[in-house]
Amino acid sequence: MFDAVWRNLPYLLGGYWVTVKLTFFALIGGIALGVLVGLGRISKKKWIYYPVTFYVNLIRNIPLILVIFWFYFVMPIIVGRPMDPFPSAVISFIVFEATYFGEILRAGFQSVSRDLIQAGYSTGLTYWQTTRYLLVPIAFRRMLPSMITQSIVTYQDTSLAFVIGLPELVRRTAIVDGLEVRSIQLFGFVAVVFFITCYLGSIVSRRFEVQRERGF
Amino acid sequence: MIEIRDMSKWYGDFQVLSRINEVIHRGQTVVVCGPSGSGKSTLLRCINGLEPFQEGEVLVDGVSVSDPSTNLYKLRQKIGMVFQRFELYPHMTALQNITLAPLKVKKKTREEAGKKAMELLARVGIPDKADSFPANLSGGQQQRVAIARALAMEPEVMMFDEPTSALDPEMIKEVLDVMIDLAKGGMTMVVVSHEMGFAREVADEIIFMDEGKIIERGTGEEFFKNPKSERTKDFLSKILI
Amino acid sequence: MRLAYNFDWGVLWRAPYGVWLLQGIWLTIQLGLIAWIIALVLGVTIGTMRISPWPWVRRIGTAYVEVFRNIPFLVQLFFWYFAGPMIFGQAMMFKINAISGLNYYVAIIGLGLYTASRVAEHVRAGFASIARDQFQAALSTGLTEIQMYRFVIIPYALRIIIPPLTTEFLTIFKNSSVAMTIGVAETTFMSYKIDSETFHGLEATTGAMAVYLAIGLGVVKLMGMIESRFRIAGLVGRK
Repeated sequence: MFDAVWRNLPYLLGGYWVTVKLTFFALIGGIALGVLVGLGRISKKKWIYYPVTFYVNLIRNIPLILVIFWFYFVMPIIVGRPMDPFPSAVISFIVFEATYFGEILRAGFQSVSRDLIQAGYSTGLTYWQTTRYLLVPIAFRRMLPSMITQSIVTYQDTSLAFVIGLPELVRRTAIVDGLEVRSIQLFGFVAVVFFITCYLGSIVSRRFEVQRERGF
Repeated sequence: MIEIRDMSKWYGDFQVLSRINEVIHRGQTVVVCGPSGSGKSTLLRCINGLEPFQEGEVLVDGVSVSDPSTNLYKLRQKIGMVFQRFELYPHMTALQNITLAPLKVKKKTREEAGKKAMELLARVGIPDKADSFPANLSGGQQQRVAIARALAMEPEVMMFDEPTSALDPEMIKEVLDVMIDLAKGGMTMVVVSHEMGFAREVADEIIFMDEGKIIERGTGEEFFKNPKSERTKDFLSKILI
Repeated sequence: MRLAYNFDWGVLWRAPYGVWLLQGIWLTIQLGLIAWIIALVLGVTIGTMRISPWPWVRRIGTAYVEVFRNIPFLVQLFFWYFAGPMIFGQAMMFKINAISGLNYYVAIIGLGLYTASRVAEHVRAGFASIARDQFQAALSTGLTEIQMYRFVIIPYALRIIIPPLTTEFLTIFKNSSVAMTIGVAETTFMSYKIDSETFHGLEATTGAMAVYLAIGLGVVKLMGMIESRFRIAGLVGRK
């Protein structure tokens, strides 16, 4: 029944590996940059707040595909030579997802009581120390369910790197479909793969939501 | 030790503190009381630079708090502070709460910091709770850990902002006992509190504040028996049973 | 830093490129608006199903949301476009594939189905957040069930839902860009096309970004107007 899938499984799995790699780098970079974005969005210094807010509002209003294209066109100009789709995609995703993670973390930062941070300051800790040991870890733990949900969204979004020819799962499936024309099997397969992985992810997220109820 | 001269603070147009003058000597325990909104908590936070003020001067051991060249981080190491809602770091154990600042600010080794922390936990009466998280501690236990956390930096002054107001009645005593112990041991303390029993026992001076001003100062029984101002009388009659 | 690149912003308005871009914008607007109507109607229905007292009705609603939420939109679109016609059997498939502008219709329907699942979630959350509080308060003052729904629950629910729905309305225009992958000549597709002809993709995509920003501002303005008008006529006085 799924013979077209079995026949091309190694090729398709190779594509899935690219999907996973892209997701991984996008998340690491996106969350790291997201922390800075979140901090920037609660900064009292106007020269930090306004640029960061502009950046966040800009990116959140435009489609991811466009961001992917934009970097694909821009990077060669800066670097001086044509660019491989994978690094271009990674950069696009990091810049894009950082705004979403940034907003999630901002909510987390704002949920930490001012007194708690002052308690840290009152023992002589500096701004970076209170941010690194108190503000960020607590915000992370509180927003973990949302972070997981957003990570799942990032994972799904990797399929859009299709448009710059990145050989991830969906593109490879489309290529195979071009040859085999067994569309129901092939696209059904991709749909099922995503469905199962994302559904499991949402269950994990819900588990953390429950854990969080207990005293945080 | 602490000198406050003509200090005033505004939040926008609203004046929170009005020409505060006070001297606290080493070893003294000063209790500050007054209705809510009188500026007591803000006063504490002005002393260790957590809140800025617009007029006047605050000197801690000769160092001016508002001087831009003052290193506030260093200053805060000398002043320990305990908060009304304990404000323990929820993601760390009691021991980690206490050792964080010594490790990162004073650069102590893990052994040194850990040893000192255990001593402090023993001193406040709960050495067995070293590896417990705040969520698993009672209010009284949390506050005692908070006191140990403040003491870990070996401060010269301890400030308390309504330390027992958020506690269930049966736990107030265990925290006050620790505070009395500290006061009798010679620590310089500024305590914002309505616990008059505590004030009676160890306070060298009691200050009554209202609407950002110091209305009256007194010592011991004098203060309770013969308050000079109407407002003080009124306030005392409401909180003393 | 010397960039080996000459900027040519004229690609945005010179013929034929400017015309292409305008055509693309028109398609983006069509895709967004029509799919939004589908999404609202379907989404409210499914959202209401999810709080229905009958378990099977609830389950169908939940299944719909879970399926459309856990599969990337691009995959959904490909499935409907490539695999969809095959579902109807060989004969129908050829007929369907012969429809001109098939990708346009598939894109609208696909976008509508996908967004409906998100709207359904907002509807469900909206109802869930009021049912407890206001329900009993209203009944305790002597209102009948119907009066309660009409004067308390529904106006309240609509007001709660408007902000997240605004976000979804914005998102639908962003997601319409995915339709370019099945050849729908909307804004993003056109910016790519301009690049393939002129090699000035940077200007083209920047121009496209401005278009989406403008659409975004328009949506926010529109929903803001709806929200404030609703407030004036509102039956529940709330800040």
